[in-house]
Amino acid sequence: MIRNTRKPGRYQRGGTQVRKKRVCRFCENDTTYIDYKNEKRLQRFVSEQGRVIPKRITGTCSKHQRMLIQAIKRARHLALLPFVSEAVR
Amino acid sequence: MKGLTKRYETVYIVNASLDDAQIDAIIEKTKEFIVKQGGEIQEVEKWGRKRLSFPIQKKNNGFYVVTYFSAPGDFVTKLTRYYHLEEQIIRHLTILLDKKALLALEQKAKEKEASGEAQGESSAESTSGA
Ligand SMILES: [Zn+2]
Repeated sequence: MIRNTRKPGRYQRGGTQVRKKRVCRFCENDTTYIDYKNEKRLQRFVSEQGRVIPKRITGTCSKHQRMLIQAIKRARHLALLPFVSEAVR
Repeated sequence: MKGLTKRYETVYIVNASLDDAQIDAIIEKTKEFIVKQGGEIQEVEKWGRKRLSFPIQKKNNGFYVVTYFSAPGDFVTKLTRYYHLEEQIIRHLTILLDKKALLALEQKAKEKEASGEAQGESSAESTSGA
């Protein structure tokens, strides 16, 4: 069961495919540069605690995940995004 | 020395507890510094006061300024030194704009222009109507 939830591309027992849509959003838009100044766009790829959401969950490809991480780091430096915060206070 | 210039983008955060005139003075000072040191400014964009995601030097707000410029390679070190000496600038970031970044910037400017033109037209229409 655990394995199944981890790999959304698999067939379930019933035979119906439960493939979660895993298309890189940046590839869809032919993105060549991710701007660190657009924090609203970056926020979608960051958890509530401020952590970067893994690409296996967001579906971002490796190339764009690298660009995204660089943008997030720059945004954090300028206090546009938070650094990882501790658990709920 | 001339010729080998590159395009850069620099963002700095000014202490937002200063009043507007003081902030403008710092923006002017920074512009002057860039020009004096051989840089050429393309655009200065004021974002204005913004809440910081976390406090910097015990401050919760900052006045953000973005500057696009071109300069020779050794200029960035000078700019960094300048930022450090300016106490009212609480954070800064300078990045080199590569081909991809420049292309994205151009595209953004085009989109802005297009929307600006549309607005200009509509306002022109309304004035001619009145
Ligand atoms: Zn991609």
